[in-house]
Amino acid sequence: MRALLPSTLLALAATLPAQDLLVRAKTVVVAPDTVLTDGRFLVRDGKVAYVGSDVPADAAAKATVVDCGDAVVVPGFVLAPTTLGRDGDLAEGALPFTPDLRAAEAFDPWQDELAKLPRAGFTAAVLAPSPRNLAGGLGALVKPGATGGRVATADLHLALSLTAAARNPERPPTSLMGGVDLLRSAFAQAKSAAAAGPDVAVLRDVLQGGRKVAIAADTLVELQAALDLARDFGFEPVLVGARDADKALPRLVAQRAAVVLAPLAPEMRRAQLELPARFAEAGVPFCFSGNPEQTRLSAVLAVRHGLDRQTAWAALGRATATMFGAAGQVGALRQGCAADFAVWSGDPLDLGSSLRAVYVDGARVHGGQPSAAAPAASSSSTAAGGR
Amino acid sequence: MRIPRSPSLLGASLCALGLLLAAPAVRAQEPPPAPAPTPAPAEQRPAGQPAGQPGEQPAADPGAVDAPRRQRRPGRLPPGFAPLVLEAGHVHPVTGPAIENGVVVVRGERIVAVGKKGEVEVPQGAIVRSFPTGHVYPGLIDAATDAYTDGSLRSDGGADGGTSFADDLRKQEARFHDLAAQGITTAYVTVRSPAFVRGQGAIVRPKKDGAFEPWRDKEATALQMRLASGTLMSHALERQQQFQQADGLFEGLDEYRKSFTDHADALKKYDKEFADYLAFHQKKKDGDKKPEGDKPADAGKPAGAAAPAAGDAPAGPGPGPGGRPGGRRGGPGGQGGGGQGGGGQGGGGNEPPKGNEPPKNEPPKKDPPKQLEGAAAAAFEAALATLLDTIAQDPKPQDPPKPEGPKPDGQQPAPAGGAPAGEKKDEGPKRPTYPKPPQKDPQRDALLKVLDGELALRVEAHRPDELRAALALQQRRSIPLLVLEQAYGAGALADDLAKAGVSVVVTECLPLTLAPPYDRFDVPALPAKLAAAGVPFAIATGRASWSSLLPLQAAAAVAGGLPPAEALRAITLTPAEILGVAKDTGSLQPGKYADVLVTDRPLFQTDSRVLLVLGKGNAEYEVK
Repeated sequence: MRALLPSTLLALAATLPAQDLLVRAKTVVVAPDTVLTDGRFLVRDGKVAYVGSDVPADAAAKATVVDCGDAVVVPGFVLAPTTLGRDGDLAEGALPFTPDLRAAEAFDPWQDELAKLPRAGFTAAVLAPSPRNLAGGLGALVKPGATGGRVATADLHLALSLTAAARNPERPPTSLMGGVDLLRSAFAQAKSAAAAGPDVAVLRDVLQGGRKVAIAADTLVELQAALDLARDFGFEPVLVGARDADKALPRLVAQRAAVVLAPLAPEMRRAQLELPARFAEAGVPFCFSGNPEQTRLSAVLAVRHGLDRQTAWAALGRATATMFGAAGQVGALRQGCAADFAVWSGDPLDLGSSLRAVYVDGARVHGGQPSAAAPAASSSSTAAGGR
Repeated sequence: MRIPRSPSLLGASLCALGLLLAAPAVRAQEPPPAPAPTPAPAEQRPAGQPAGQPGEQPAADPGAVDAPRRQRRPGRLPPGFAPLVLEAGHVHPVTGPAIENGVVVVRGERIVAVGKKGEVEVPQGAIVRSFPTGHVYPGLIDAATDAYTDGSLRSDGGADGGTSFADDLRKQEARFHDLAAQGITTAYVTVRSPAFVRGQGAIVRPKKDGAFEPWRDKEATALQMRLASGTLMSHALERQQQFQQADGLFEGLDEYRKSFTDHADALKKYDKEFADYLAFHQKKKDGDKKPEGDKPADAGKPAGAAAPAAGDAPAGPGPGPGGRPGGRRGGPGGQGGGGQGGGGQGGGGNEPPKGNEPPKNEPPKKDPPKQLEGAAAAAFEAALATLLDTIAQDPKPQDPPKPEGPKPDGQQPAPAGGAPAGEKKDEGPKRPTYPKPPQKDPQRDALLKVLDGELALRVEAHRPDELRAALALQQRRSIPLLVLEQAYGAGALADDLAKAGVSVVVTECLPLTLAPPYDRFDVPALPAKLAAAGVPFAIATGRASWSSLLPLQAAAAVAGGLPPAEALRAITLTPAEILGVAKDTGSLQPGKYADVLVTDRPLFQTDSRVLLVLGKGNAEYEVK
């Protein structure tokens, strides 16, 4: 009987309306271009309800306060297209052209790679089909959680690939020109009203501007092919990998393309390490691929080589969310966005800063609990962020 | 002792005298003993530091008016030795708290003063470089890097303990070998080659544009050994074998060392016996010559005085004044067995005794070996001539010489000297046999230095079991200086390491997960654990390609719980202590080398930029 009591209380608590959280910190980065000193925001139902001076006094009085002291609160980072270690489940090996397959359907909420995201300050990831398929399918926005992950948004973007990985001697396309032709034919077919089918519907969304397209391309010739395709069919591509992106910079600017850069490493050539700074100067949006630790270190290295901190912050979340059509949900702590944030001892772009806590949808999923105080007007004992 | 009179030696002596007279000019690079600053006029600024340079202003120099007259006075410091004063918003001496509005005064290659602006006397005429918002640190020390090495050295699996990395270091083209541009002024160079015993690491001083110079007397600092299995799975027996292999290296070292002490004793004995041998025959020769009324030139001197070995040569088996080290071997000159020891018994620089012309009937002697040069060769030749003369004039009958083959040590049989057959056998002491020297083994020499504490033993050991093996080796062989590298699992053994007095060089200190099975080790958290246990540790890059990340690695250790002051110490003073150069570098203290790093922001900030790097007071890097 005694053993049943706590579980009963837990079940009861789960059905009760969640307690608002008032998060306060010396520095609150609402978005890369909006930083509040002695800032605060109110979390309600897992979303940011009010920010800064917009927080109503009565709501603040009733909310549970999460006082982060002199810490820096930043939006949770967003991991750029990744298979989260499940490459085999996210590539249809037998068929090269599967634009209507859904990565969300291969999502495992308990997979280890997802659980590791919060340890580096990441609160969401763009789960993408593997680049081994010419048209791999639709990506999804996924999130870790205290009780397993979840798909925040299915059918996010269309993933295409012109890299060598997509060319397979066992099935078409076996060459780059074959791949480009296949994609060109498919988009041309989707343009005609007569065509129908789930794959055509996806491509038609792209043509109508309703869906983002990410094209994996490494070499200059692959990048040019991708840019040609985007130009001919009128969409703004996100180029993934883009090893030779520096050589195509003018075209990237002209076609408003965005780039997902491969992770930076200290031993790279100086020109590669300085590429993010050049992109920022040219106005090319970019973010970094790789695992969570590599992504943060890439941003650090980019800052070390001349990138401004604001752009580096964006590359860790806001830019990623924008590129893949999730800017309204993640990557910022603006009103209506998910309350996904991380509490750092300092600027996360300084390696001397340590991660203290991570919250996803207003619930703490990693780290210790910053000092929390029950609201003066309420005796509620709901743990801060412990929903 | 006679003073050499030959023109060449006289010239050499004059040169030496000249060097001695010139010595004060050389010593001018050192900090002057008197603290009074020497006024340096504006004309004497170092090249490249004109008065109008931004951020630079000459200190007030009331004596600058008569500078030209004083400039001509002998003993004035040359232009390059004008004192340099660095003023900065923040000076971090490492040995104490940061100094706000601090000053560092440099004279020549040394720091002469550090303190707060206004409290430190600025020498008149000094060059002042001002960095109002900048930060001044001691030059960074990378306690492990493979800078200046090439692929062949890094992959050399055939290296052993006798390999000295200093022999193979070269300036490399890749940008990350420019350590000075990253603020690193001292580096310990090693490699991660597959060899079990990799060789001896060297300390170098990075210079401008990717160059470097070896740290004098520190070309060999530590012996590198690998006691790790890597990321591959290994059986316990395999690891046991590895330990036994390491332990086996130290087997037989006592005997090896004893063979040299025995050889030294044998040489002493040989020297004495040879001297007796020569003295006997000299005495005998003198006795034989007197009845014939043939007065030798050195008559009247004590017996044996004419023999150079017993007379002018210094006591003991060492070389004479002009001889080379190791020239113990006198040998029966003229037979080609003298080898490199030509200057041994004769004592270099002695003239041959007068009146020792060879007898007319004596068969012509062979030319002495080419190694017997100069006065030493002449002295040896004279002694040999005396000996042969004595033997030739021996009136006693002598047994015919027995045929003798070469002796085991390669010496030829004792010279017959043209003695007529049928002469009576010499009854004096037998000519001693030169003791055979033991064979040198560079690896064993290095291991002996490890046991003597002259070289540190640096062991690459990753996991706790490998680290325990390293500790067992240290205890079993009483190794005084043990340094552990890539000790990812050292956190679990921190207390044991502290008890054993072991130092650790931490590499890979970045928030990156290591490859399995090392992914369970949290390297950025390791320094804090070591600090808590009292283990001395340095943070190092481990590879040249990470040279720009040395401060960031220290910063990552701060995120792992290490106080910032200790993180700074881990890339400055502690590595200097581990490398044995702390008396000269590692902190901003008077008397140490002027190894200085100036940055625009705190060192641990990601966007901190290097503005100026001084190495021994010279600008090794300056931002454009």
